Amino acid sequence: MNSNHRMVGRRRSSEAKQYDMLLRVLLIGDSGVGKTCILYRFVEDDFTMSHISTIGIDFKLKTVEVNGKRIRVQIWDTAGQERYETITKQYYRRAQGVLLVYDVTSEKSFTNISKWANDVDEYAPEDVERMLIANKSDDRDWRVISKQQGQKLADLYRMSFFETSAYRNVNIKEAFLALTNNIIRRQGIIPAPDNSCVKDGKCIHDLDMDLTAGDVTPLTDTEETKTGACSACSVV
Amino acid sequence: MDPSGPVQQLLSQGEKCVSAADAYLVQGRARVSRVAALVETETAFGPNFGFFMFGTKRMPVQGSDLTLVTVIPVKEDFAVEVIDDPSQDLLGSDVPVKVCGSGQVLTLNLPFGSKSGNFLTALRRAISIYTSQPPAEVFQPFAWLEKYELMTATADRSDWPWSGTGLDAMAAEIVTEGFEDNFADSLSFDDAASLASQQDLGDSEADGSGLEPVNVSRGGSASTMGSMMANPPSVREPIVKMYMLKEEAKYTHLKTFRIFAGTWNVNGQPATESLKAWLAKDSTPPDLYAVGFQELDLSKEAFVFNDSAREEEWVKAVTHGLHPEASYRRVRLIRLVGMMLLVFVRSEHNKFLSQIEAQTVGTGIMGKMGNKGGVAIRFDFHNTSFCIVNSHLAAHTEHYERRNQDYSDICARMQFNLTQPPLTIHKHNVVLWVGDLNYRLSDIEISEVKALIEKEMFWALMEHDQLKRQMNERSVFKDFKEASVNFIPTYKYDPGTDDWDTSEKCRVPAWCDRVLCKGDSVSAVEYRSHRELKLSDHKPVSCLFDIGVKVIDEDNYKRVFEEVIRKLDKLENEFLPSVSLSCVDLKFERIKFLEPQKKTISITNTGQVPCQFEFICKLDEKEYCKPWLNVQPSLGFIMPGDSYPIELEIYVDKNTAGRLNSGEDSLEDILVLHLDGGKDYFVTVQGDFIPSCFGSSIEALCNMRGPIREVPVARLVDLEAGSPSETSPEDSFSTLPIPKEIWLLVDHLYKHALCQEDLFQQPGLHSEIEEIRDCLDTGMPDTIPGQPHSVAECLLMFLDSLPEPVVPHQYYQSCLDSCTRFELCEQLMSQVPEHHRNVFKYLTAFLRELLKYQDDNKRDPKMLAMIFGGLLLKPKPDEAKRQNNQQTARRRATFIYQFQVNPYDG
Repeated sequence: MNSNHRMVGRRRSSEAKQYDMLLRVLLIGDSGVGKTCILYRFVEDDFTMSHISTIGIDFKLKTVEVNGKRIRVQIWDTAGQERYETITKQYYRRAQGVLLVYDVTSEKSFTNISKWANDVDEYAPEDVERMLIANKSDDRDWRVISKQQGQKLADLYRMSFFETSAYRNVNIKEAFLALTNNIIRRQGIIPAPDNSCVKDGKCIHDLDMDLTAGDVTPLTDTEETKTGACSACSVV
Repeated sequence: MDPSGPVQQLLSQGEKCVSAADAYLVQGRARVSRVAALVETETAFGPNFGFFMFGTKRMPVQGSDLTLVTVIPVKEDFAVEVIDDPSQDLLGSDVPVKVCGSGQVLTLNLPFGSKSGNFLTALRRAISIYTSQPPAEVFQPFAWLEKYELMTATADRSDWPWSGTGLDAMAAEIVTEGFEDNFADSLSFDDAASLASQQDLGDSEADGSGLEPVNVSRGGSASTMGSMMANPPSVREPIVKMYMLKEEAKYTHLKTFRIFAGTWNVNGQPATESLKAWLAKDSTPPDLYAVGFQELDLSKEAFVFNDSAREEEWVKAVTHGLHPEASYRRVRLIRLVGMMLLVFVRSEHNKFLSQIEAQTVGTGIMGKMGNKGGVAIRFDFHNTSFCIVNSHLAAHTEHYERRNQDYSDICARMQFNLTQPPLTIHKHNVVLWVGDLNYRLSDIEISEVKALIEKEMFWALMEHDQLKRQMNERSVFKDFKEASVNFIPTYKYDPGTDDWDTSEKCRVPAWCDRVLCKGDSVSAVEYRSHRELKLSDHKPVSCLFDIGVKVIDEDNYKRVFEEVIRKLDKLENEFLPSVSLSCVDLKFERIKFLEPQKKTISITNTGQVPCQFEFICKLDEKEYCKPWLNVQPSLGFIMPGDSYPIELEIYVDKNTAGRLNSGEDSLEDILVLHLDGGKDYFVTVQGDFIPSCFGSSIEALCNMRGPIREVPVARLVDLEAGSPSETSPEDSFSTLPIPKEIWLLVDHLYKHALCQEDLFQQPGLHSEIEEIRDCLDTGMPDTIPGQPHSVAECLLMFLDSLPEPVVPHQYYQSCLDSCTRFELCEQLMSQVPEHHRNVFKYLTAFLRELLKYQDDNKRDPKMLAMIFGGLLLKPKPDEAKRQNNQQTARRRATFIYQFQVNPYDG
């Protein structure tokens, strides 16, 4: 390599363009539903069992590629505790996407979704993209909210819906990618291509997967549970 | 070097340079060097600060090199703000700061580092000290700055070499670009798509530019909640490219391609010969052709208008002459007068060519005309960049230096603009340089030359070759290589023959026509001349190269690209500012009226970057915390690994006690600690407030038979809300005429202090006052503890902390208006609600009683009227500012005085 090396421009159309954009996505939901774990899993691809309440607002960045476009997602993790609600609401106004998270083992977190949804209506921009996330879907022993219940609620609020497990790394990427894709499509930034894996706000690949129906995954191999991302979405 | 030493030399006695920092003053696009300093002097009212800015003659500075340019007193209009500039937040870049005051707004760039951080912290401390002092109208603290202000106003600017008009400004013009430029660049989204993001950027820009004073008031914070700032994405683009380039080896491999590079000076002749003998001589067809011509057209038209009739026929000849066993596509043609360069590529490789650009440089007469000079074509082939130059350098044996100069000119002036940043010839991976370079043989007789040629002793001749000599001296074509020359000189022949020049001039044969190369993995396969072609006085030359080209492996490329993005994400996340707080949930116990309690939390910078923290306002709130809470400092700057103590103090005074007693407010607040460019932390502050008769209303106290501490909180709230004695049986007593607390205090004074000198004038003991207050709040003491002065002050404090004064606000103005006529005053008082009237009656009776013992206690009626006037008569809090002047004070006193000297019995 000599010192005269320069940057060689890339040219083929299949590549990510030389620009990208920034989206802001907010994680909300009751304390303890796993918002921070979801963030951690998505950004660092890691998981920690210990629960430390988020006291404040944290954020991390992650670059994703959707339809060959590089998009930077800034994910805001909020404190779920009730006493901080009035403050956290104030962060909604600049979000383009909101993930409303409940815990399938906690009925209260599920019923509280209506409260969170109302807050989103009131404080977030009107065209914010919303998605319902049922986390801890791996925990079959303690599950109290069925997938059907979740889907029904999502339909009621016209949100897209994903059952996820941050612990087993199930559907985390997929949920974020679908949300990103929906935001982009909704804002008319990129027309949806024919081969988009996202249909009606759901990723076709992953919605068919029913974790409650005896899908046993070895703990050590989180990759196993991941369905192949289609060419339209990938996480880098 | 710390500039505070030199600054100190310029100050008067008693003035101290607290902190100083090197800075750049930003004036439009220019930056000029300055020294900024904070100077302190001690006044009767406490420390006093001024912001000084000096021009500097040289660095490092000495006192004599500094000239004062600007002085700004640190007072209410003074503010410092770190400009939130997302395009500049690369680690290590200067910190842009706005300083304003006295009608000036200065933009300074402070060098990144702890020195600048300390300086900013010192400025903020000065601001907070100023705000804690009494208002400036009362005293004139900034008189000491006048002498300096005079200096800056009268100095003859022309004496200052650093002033805005002199050399400095010129120098400054060529210094760095202003940050607006960067910002504009960073906004260059090239897709209409990102409208949404642009919108947000617009917002954040507006957030950042609004200059608001920092720390002057609790509410004056520059940041607001929910400003989700992030770097504009395009800032990252060059970094991604850089990383990708670094990892190039991981996703490319070298593949060898055969390149044919040829040159021929055709002496203005028409293309009447087939070029196959030159271009298609080899058995295998090359992957790429680079064919250069000189003197393609010697006509006047070509010279003057760069318009050649010969171009077409020669292009045709070349096209027909290419190797017949492969199909080629023309990549680009470029011609300047007689210099023409053509590049062809085998059709199957065409799609791997990109960024194709051609440029010319004329070095003829005036350094511009195109009869001499060079033409060039650059392109990327796979991941390797190529630049091919065809040049015709100055003629004549003795002019080799002129040729060297032509070469340098071509190198210096040839620039390709398609790429960012623009490229010069040498910035390419592979450079092939062909042409009639016109270097001759020196210091040798023509007969000797011809003899050596005869013997094919080219190596011996080469020792006389000017090009070889100049290259060996590194005067020209530095770093270029040439294959060894094993063919007889290509100049000068009688056209149509293989005979040496027989004309009058009888030129010495020379290797005018050459092919040079530069770059890694470039190797010459064959270097030759083509004597079969006879139409010119030159013979064509060609060189075959095998060149290793970096071919991208798509899978690996994608993998590396994703790795790079992931790495950058990770870095960016790691470099977000981050702190840890020793406690986020502060619980204060037993908060009492006027008894401050303090707790300290420690903020530690656990991130990898210096960070600025600040307590910010919640949306729709003007202050970042409740009025009973005080946070010191409310903002600061911490280096990685360092800790910083933050003191939180709860202090309930008369302004806040009323709402706390009545249950309208409680000791609960959540503070938002914001990190500049990072996350927010919530700090919860809670405290139990012990209710006190201080701050309670007269009505509520009249409804309490027992001490306030024995009343259940819910009942207290009811009482304050004005719904006395409803259900509880123990409360079924008729209300007291006046609050027992007032009675206890006044009765004590009546019994023990009527003859006390200086009563209501000498302050009590703080500890005793606290004791008395507890006593009133907890029980019904037989005797009040403490000396008379403490009891007296306690009474005054009690009256001062009443939410509604003894003479309620609504009567205030009427009382002032009628203060000169006792009948009117009396009449007014009859309208006042019962309990208030009772208290008033009781207190004025006591004052009259007190004045009977004037001989002993030396109390002056006017003095007493002044003291009690200010406590019993008060304007509404929001009107207090404009009401508190001497005139109203006198009228209030007059009102009370009426009741001291006239008998009054309600």
